[in-house]
Amino acid sequence: MWSLGTTVTLPAFTVVPELLPVLCQVKMLCVRGLQRLKAIFYLPRSTSHRSLTSAEVLPKDDALLKVENLSRESKKGCMLCNVTVDFKNIQLLSQFVSPHTGRIYGRHITGLCGKKQKEISKAIKKAHSLGFMPVTHKYPEFMKDPRICSIKHLD
Amino acid sequence: MPRYELALILKAMQRPETAAAVRRTVETLMERGAVVRNLENMGERLLPYKMTKHNERHSRGTYFLVDFYCAPSILDGLLNHLHRDVDVVRPTVLKKEEQEPKSSCCDEKTRQEMKR
Repeated sequence: MWSLGTTVTLPAFTVVPELLPVLCQVKMLCVRGLQRLKAIFYLPRSTSHRSLTSAEVLPKDDALLKVENLSRESKKGCMLCNVTVDFKNIQLLSQFVSPHTGRIYGRHITGLCGKKQKEISKAIKKAHSLGFMPVTHKYPEFMKDPRICSIKHLD
Repeated sequence: MPRYELALILKAMQRPETAAAVRRTVETLMERGAVVRNLENMGERLLPYKMTKHNERHSRGTYFLVDFYCAPSILDGLLNHLHRDVDVVRPTVLKKEEQEPKSSCCDEKTRQEMKR
């Protein structure tokens, strides 16, 4: 019998025979509780799971090559970088104009840089006023030209 | 003297009449002290839209480009004369743009702006 004040220290592997059924019940409860917890927190792992070592986490050589490609992409400018824009060249100007309405496409569609977009816009308006390029439509012979603007037409 | 360009649209006519109209125009230019550098015939085509001039509706026209040097003071009188010419549908005088040395339009700064 234990008194209230004293603490009991039992050696690790002794089981007090009187408390055996109680202990068993407690153990069962604990085990079941743990099993339930396990069911919630169980993460499916592959049978061949190995712990992540630092060697596997670090990127390999192909990732470094990808970084090189990115720098090459940023070097090239807009598509009209070395092309002089002229109001007489209506075939070029017609590529930046809607085939249905003849409206000039915006920067988000043409993908041109600020300078070239302005040049194209000015050239188109000049061509309109001079009587070189149609205003409300596109010349039919230019309809088959390659589409440079990123707009989808329902044809 | 500054350099100008005359984008001329003539009425669709027979060859001798077109030639006579062009000759007349160039002679007017030279009379007023212009130096004609180049004359280009861009052919007869369907006009992009119908134009009404001198009480006539035009669907076809012949395009010419005259490259010349002249004093700026004569341009007003020249345009007046061309507007009065019955055979001319649309005369326009433009300043000739100097061909800039090809500097890359997409340098680092503009590329940064494009990304934004």
